[in-house]
Order: sequence, then structure tokens, then C-alpha cells
Amino acid sequence: MSLAIVSIVILIGLCAGIMVGLLGIGGGIVLVPALVYLLHMDQHMAQGTSLFVLLPPIGLGALLEYRKKGDVDFRAGILCAVGMLVGGYLGGRIAVPMSSDHLKELFGAFLMLSALLLWSKASKKPVPAQPATFEGGS
Amino acid sequence: MSKTIGFLLAGVAGGVLSGLFGIGGGTVLIPIFGLLLAFDQHKAQGTSLVALIPPTGLLAVIAYAKSGYVSWLAGILLVPGLFVGGIIGAKIAKRMEPRRMRQVFAVLMFLLGAWEAMGAFRH
Repeated sequence: MSLAIVSIVILIGLCAGIMVGLLGIGGGIVLVPALVYLLHMDQHMAQGTSLFVLLPPIGLGALLEYRKKGDVDFRAGILCAVGMLVGGYLGGRIAVPMSSDHLKELFGAFLMLSALLLWSKASKKPVPAQPATFEGGS
Repeated sequence: MSKTIGFLLAGVAGGVLSGLFGIGGGTVLIPIFGLLLAFDQHKAQGTSLVALIPPTGLLAVIAYAKSGYVSWLAGILLVPGLFVGGIIGAKIAKRMEPRRMRQVFAVLMFLLGAWEAMGAFRH
């Protein structure tokens, strides 16, 4: 890998990281397109690499910032993590045999659909200022 | 109890899409938290980050690696930028109003999605 490529990769990481903190996501939705278009990886390679990058707790710094304002529900987060471990394996098994182009189309469609759902929610009147709390359990 | 099951199921859904698309899963978790479980946008995003701290994608990485679909060197180089960027992004997020944040999120995802889909069709 040449120095130029190495610097590009590090910069991609920094940009994706800003998205991680700003949007509370893992960064994969930014990493995958960046790896495909800037580093010319094929779709599978980009996805596999993205998953590998997301293994270390890269969002830890961002999480601590959210926690300062109390915007975190740890119980919900931990339960989700358990489900994700299993689900991630299933998803990987589905993706690997697919063709790169199909996978790319599906990824694009998925992102656009989620975007539309969120936008429709954001355009409605905000729910009463009181944020929902789930810590109580039931 | 029903909430516990709901969170676990949200995790499984997030995980399947995570493995399928090579993403962290936050893209899936945040809409689920926000739209189905009525979290506000900041709380949805903060909680999603908790779910992304453990290496939940480990089994998915193994599935990809078996077929040679992982570039280890590029992966390692991406980590430091992501970590630092994450802190910067979170500091920006704290100053934003929740509805505005959800809009930023939606627009970004739509653009990325359109970009991906176009790329596939041009082939």
C-alpha cells in the first residue's frame, strides 16, 4: 500500500468516525460506500472489511459524550448486543453467496427505505418534550 | 419482560442486517428505537452506541473471512480515525436539536443509498 493510499484510508476512517459520533451508528453505512468507490474494493470485500473495523469499540469515545447528557439506555443497548451477535452471523451467511451487484442494490434500497421512514417521522410534530424512559423494566 | 424480548428481537434484526450489509447495525437499531420504541433521537443514538461497543459482528466477520472477503490492513488503518472522529461527531450532536438530527440522519442515509444503488445499476 502506498503512502497516498494509507493517508486516504486514515482520512476515510476520520470522516466515518465523525458520522459515528454524530449519528450514533457503527460507521458501516459510510465505510462500505467509501471503500467501494474510493479504494475500489468489491462489495463483499468492502462489507467484510467494514465488519472487521467495527469489532473494536470505536464508538466508546462517542458513547461517553452521549452519557454526559444521559442520552443512553444501557439495558436496551446490552440486550440488543446479544441479539446482534446471533443475527450478524445469520446475515453474513446470507450475504456471502450473493453476487456483489445484487448485494449492492439491496444495500442501497435498504438505506433509502430507512431514510424515508426516518424522514416521515422527523417531519411530524415532535412528540411531547418528555423523552421515553425504559429503565424501569416490567 | 415484553420489553426485554423486544430489545433482544431488535438486536437480532439489527444483527441480520449488519451481517448482510457489513454495517454496524446502528442504522437499523436507531429507527427501531425511535419509531417502534418511542425513544427520542439522541437517546436512540446513544443507546445504539452501547450495542455497538461489544464485538457483535464477530461471527459475521468470521463468515466473510472464510471466503477471503476481508482486507485486514485497510481495516486496521481505519480504526484510529474512526475513534477520534467519533468523539468529534458526538460533540457536534450534543448541540443539535433532536428533530434536526433525525433529518440529518435521514438525508445522509438516503444519499448513501442512492449512491450505492446507482453504482450497481451502472454495471
